[in-house]
Amino acid sequence: MNKNSNTYIVIYSTVMVVVVATLLAVAALALKSRQNANILNEKKEAILASLSASDQNYDEYITAYVVDAEGQQIEGQDPLQLLFDLKTAFAEKTLPVFEAQDGRIVVPVTGVGLWGPMWGYVALEQDRNTIAGVVLDHAGETPGLGAEVATPKHQAMYKGKTLFEGDEFVSVSLRKGGAKDLAHEVDAISGGTKTSDGVTAMLKNSLGAYLPLLKVAAPATEEACCEACAECETNKVENNE
Amino acid sequence: MSNKNLKYLTGPFSANNPVIVQILGICSALAVTVQLKPAIVMALSVTAVTAFANLVMSLLRNGLPSRIRIIVQLVVIATLVILVDQVLKAFVYDVSKQLSVYVGLIITNCIVMGRVEAFALGNGPWASFLDGIGNGLGYGLILVIVAFFRELFGSGTLYGFRVIPESWYIAEGGFYANNGLMLFPPMALIICGCIIWVHRSKNKDLQEK
Repeated sequence: MNKNSNTYIVIYSTVMVVVVATLLAVAALALKSRQNANILNEKKEAILASLSASDQNYDEYITAYVVDAEGQQIEGQDPLQLLFDLKTAFAEKTLPVFEAQDGRIVVPVTGVGLWGPMWGYVALEQDRNTIAGVVLDHAGETPGLGAEVATPKHQAMYKGKTLFEGDEFVSVSLRKGGAKDLAHEVDAISGGTKTSDGVTAMLKNSLGAYLPLLKVAAPATEEACCEACAECETNKVENNE
Repeated sequence: MSNKNLKYLTGPFSANNPVIVQILGICSALAVTVQLKPAIVMALSVTAVTAFANLVMSLLRNGLPSRIRIIVQLVVIATLVILVDQVLKAFVYDVSKQLSVYVGLIITNCIVMGRVEAFALGNGPWASFLDGIGNGLGYGLILVIVAFFRELFGSGTLYGFRVIPESWYIAEGGFYANNGLMLFPPMALIICGCIIWVHRSKNKDLQEK
């Protein structure tokens, strides 16, 4: 048989491709559940890490629920499963929230960097304004440049930044050349401008989706508190009279 | 095991080492040697891929149309690498994250295709399999040596365990600081260079006139 004839080559490649495709499909299906369990575990750890509570047990420490665009809780969705396709979750306004025992909340963020998707978790203090910590990750940013967003050194800079200026939502941005507005800015990454811009947009868009949830708790309570105080002040005055 | 087969297996450890004699697979040797653990996993992954790529190609060699030889090699190697990647993701997820793109890049590791082209297409399956294991381990040996020095002097740990006591560090009032350069790829190249230097000075027949 002529091994270099076109017929032979076509048959040979077809058989090879079918065999290889079957093999890979079987392997992918067989290992899928194990891989997903690993990924889920990693997500839980990242949520705890953003709260600086890695020593806690996720199931005991975190209560997860889903809210809609108005910040109302909705039933029938698994918050952890939503993390697997955050883009769709944001588009459909099924927003997962992870609340810690101490009242702090963690919200997921998702966006794009230079080369591919980026995602992360932002933990907010009880005031729903101050950042308690962030964990960021990416699919394929350049090591040493854009990939620096995933380092603890970069992520430590977000701690203590605030999302609101008065009543206005300003988010947190990454500034090239170093942060100027210390309340709402962190240093951008040298050589990673596109990735830094991506992180800025990611925080703004994703946190923006949670706005009702943040606003309800943040400036509103402050006002309520002030009103209450004012009321008791007037009461006092009246009583004195 | 016959003498000839034993030579296929052990030759690549020293006299015919793929990294320090043939200077193949250097790029991944620089990338994954910051710590011992990823280096060892990478070494085992490459060994598995070279061994089975050699075995499969050796079995296919008689029916292989020479005009699409290279493409068939690539398909076989890529399939094996994807399988390795899937297995790592399922069983050692943290290491798989650490190795990130480098697992995928085993496909382009010159050692794998080099051995298939140079050896497996002209030898029987058993000899090819041994040659693959030998070359994978020869590559792994260098990786482990480089990673040993880089982790020890760069992080003060070995396989994640602390070797240099905390109390020696300047931050704790001691006198010692980790060498930050060890964490960067150039240092891997320098260590590779030192290994080649020592190796050649011991093996007179490798020295160029």
